[in-house]
Amino acid sequence: MKDIVSVDHLRVEFATGDGPVVGVQDVSFTIAPGETLCVVGESGSGKSVTSLSLMRLVEFGGGTITQGALTFMRADGTTLDVTAASSQVMGQVRGNEIGMIFQEPMTALNPVFTIERQLTDGLMLHKGLTQEAASARALDLLKSVRIPEPERRLRQYPHELSGGMRQRVVIAMAMACEPKLLIADEPTTALDVTIQAEILALINRLKRENGMAVLFITHDMAVVAQMADRVVVMYHGRIVETGTVEQIFENPQENYTKALLAAVPKLGEMKGKAAPERMRLIGDEAARAAQTAPKSRKPEVLLQVKNLTTRFPVKGGILRRTVAQVHAVEDVSFTLNVGETLALVGESGCGKSSCGRSILRLIEPTSGEVWIGGRDIGALNHHDLRRARADMQMVFQDPFASLNPYRRLKAQVAEPIQNFGLASGTDLEARVVQLFDRVRLPREFMTRFPHELSGGQRQRAAIARALAVNPKLIVADEAVSALDVSVQAQVLNLMMELQEDLGLSYLFISHDMAVVERIAHHVGVMYLGRIVEIGPRAAVFDNPQHPYTQSLLSAVPIADPRKRRFADDLAFKPITSPIFPLSYQPAKSTYTEIAPGHLVLNA
Amino acid sequence: MTYVLNRLLSVILTLFLITLVTFAVTNILPGDVAMMIMGTQSNPEALAGLRESLGLNDPLLVQYGHWVGGMISGDWGNSLIFKKPIFELLAQKAAASAIIVAMSMIIALALAVPLGVWAAVHRDKWQDTVSSTSALMGVSLPDFFWGILMILVFARWLGWFPSSGFVDPAENFLGTLRHAFLPSLALGLGLMAHLTRMTRSTMTGILNQEFIRVARAKGLAERTVIWRYALANAIGPVITIAGLQIGYLFGSIIVMESLFGYTGMGWLTYQALLNRDLPLIQSTVFVIAAVVMLTNLAVDLLYVVIDPRIRLG
Repeated sequence: MKDIVSVDHLRVEFATGDGPVVGVQDVSFTIAPGETLCVVGESGSGKSVTSLSLMRLVEFGGGTITQGALTFMRADGTTLDVTAASSQVMGQVRGNEIGMIFQEPMTALNPVFTIERQLTDGLMLHKGLTQEAASARALDLLKSVRIPEPERRLRQYPHELSGGMRQRVVIAMAMACEPKLLIADEPTTALDVTIQAEILALINRLKRENGMAVLFITHDMAVVAQMADRVVVMYHGRIVETGTVEQIFENPQENYTKALLAAVPKLGEMKGKAAPERMRLIGDEAARAAQTAPKSRKPEVLLQVKNLTTRFPVKGGILRRTVAQVHAVEDVSFTLNVGETLALVGESGCGKSSCGRSILRLIEPTSGEVWIGGRDIGALNHHDLRRARADMQMVFQDPFASLNPYRRLKAQVAEPIQNFGLASGTDLEARVVQLFDRVRLPREFMTRFPHELSGGQRQRAAIARALAVNPKLIVADEAVSALDVSVQAQVLNLMMELQEDLGLSYLFISHDMAVVERIAHHVGVMYLGRIVEIGPRAAVFDNPQHPYTQSLLSAVPIADPRKRRFADDLAFKPITSPIFPLSYQPAKSTYTEIAPGHLVLNA
Repeated sequence: MTYVLNRLLSVILTLFLITLVTFAVTNILPGDVAMMIMGTQSNPEALAGLRESLGLNDPLLVQYGHWVGGMISGDWGNSLIFKKPIFELLAQKAAASAIIVAMSMIIALALAVPLGVWAAVHRDKWQDTVSSTSALMGVSLPDFFWGILMILVFARWLGWFPSSGFVDPAENFLGTLRHAFLPSLALGLGLMAHLTRMTRSTMTGILNQEFIRVARAKGLAERTVIWRYALANAIGPVITIAGLQIGYLFGSIIVMESLFGYTGMGWLTYQALLNRDLPLIQSTVFVIAAVVMLTNLAVDLLYVVIDPRIRLG
């Protein structure tokens, strides 16, 4: 069969103030009809530039195709030289013969136009349909992507739809003219794992039904394993390796591919193992071998949370009175031992971040008790709370946002030490140097600004800052979620090493089940503000009892192409709203202990 | 609906506060209305009589009550210098000024929006420099300079428009527009600068949004993407800023109308201030404040039409 797309030695350059910068070079691949080709790579690898070049959209971002050929087989059987096509011809191809889905469903739809208008304008343009015919087709499209109440959605605006529904609308838009090629650029990266599973299954079904080819761009090896027929691995604007998905996962040839795959945690790989294990890093075998067997500590409670509840007021009316409440954290209790990690997992809005912040009193809990090292945090006055914060520090998701862009790293790491009066003068200097060594940042970085560092380096600096006051507890809120997979593995290993050496306890807030499976001692699954299941990691992962835990685990993509799970349509129960009227009196959280320490919320 | 009610309530409250402030300010100002009417050389007894008949000896609260009551019933008193009922006077002059204000706003928007869009589309290229330089020139040169320049170019040299004067719109509406054009253009050029910058910055932000990329990926023509998809999102903040400029405009017409001999509100305000016509000043200030408030209310309501997200919020 003839290839639908052939890319031959593509080179794209971007004009900058300092002369041209190469986005991608020497990129060649083909896609056959009905095939899914995954382009995988870490940030800056050029995977998006490649996909945008196929549509010639790269020129709107200041890029120029300077070399190579891009050939697309059009619907009428003629071949089109994309690099030389006029903008009129590209206008006919875009959205008509090639559809595209983007990463951010929240911003991919025009906020001031109705869903109907955005679905029909392409149809009227490319297919010459009348308004009525286009509207009818739009309704069919919404049905085919299984949106509930499709008639009502047509008249709605994007802000009235959830993220998952918006991404379905974006897919419907891309599919509107029945394109022969669908380009999906990180289509599920911004979505929760159950919605990701639904969207992946949807793309698979549409592909099967329409026989279209799919170019799937992602950074997530687990998604690649689930979706790809063939894989292109990119690094620094070049192709590293190409092969079938089985070849790439089972017999990778290039060191970069091997390293990338090694760093990916696979859900289920920790079965039968009691203790957490460091992430695999190629070239780090020596360090891992040197890793002593986990110290068997005598369990000693550091953090005890009892019936923690946090509610946020919803204001309304002319006088801005509280009319309802968001039950963000609802009757949550758990303990965390010294030197251990408790992971709080759940999807967006489940209350895991609010829980972490309530414990540190960064937001004031409504009720409940928090004890850290025998001290009642809730009872502390303003002054004592400030003192107590030395024991409990936080690492946030986005180190670029949590570090001050105008201050050198040295000053930012030294700041908490000075605040608490722990050291000054040469002692302070020595302590900062020691912290930089501790997180393995070169000492010359001390005088740099955050923007001069990579994401992983910035997160190391944020960890150094948290460590500066010798805390006992670190609340890590999605601390590695924004990092590329190999960097993520390095930072996780650093955190585990620090835990072993310093006896730190982590409250590890994450949506990534595969990472949690690898690093946590205990796991709490949160849903609608409550912990629905909590227990030793092995118990929760190997024997999940609560229906929500089960559906969450079934939705996680596994980085193994022989364990595919998203063939048929999936429909997970949508998460209901945590907003309740003021009069609402929630029931207490009561649990059944099905195994030692393994608690499941009673329905 | 609650949003609209909220806004209306706040407008009523603000209008009340405005009456308090204007009343207080004119009462604090030194000078005696009765003496102003009769002159400094007048007979003290006659002066006292006039004070009594004007109600100036009543307690302040009673005076305020009379004033507000009069305002509501349309009896705004008489102007001291024009010897005419203020209500009638203001209605006529306000209409004349509304023409200038509206015209200058239309001119400003008609120039600023395309210029700002043009700059945003060609960001960091020469078009951007041209646009921001011309916008900067518009704002850095004072209005009256533009006014003088307009008189020189369009009235003296080209002779296209009259340099001065006012025609009653009831007699010759086209003539009124011709007289209003040059002051409006001069004001519009000053206004344009802010609006161009606002258009440029909101458009730049919008053009970087993902939904613009999605629109292009759908195969929509670039002009549709820019003038429909992007501008529909960018126009809201521009209109808000334009609405806020109405207040600034009422300040500017004082100079501009006097310069062009255009007898509108601005000219009237100037005359009232010059001759310390207290009742007239009071009413003028109130009308200007009310108009500025109401136009901002109109802008906010317009925003509801433009941006569907506000309706529910």
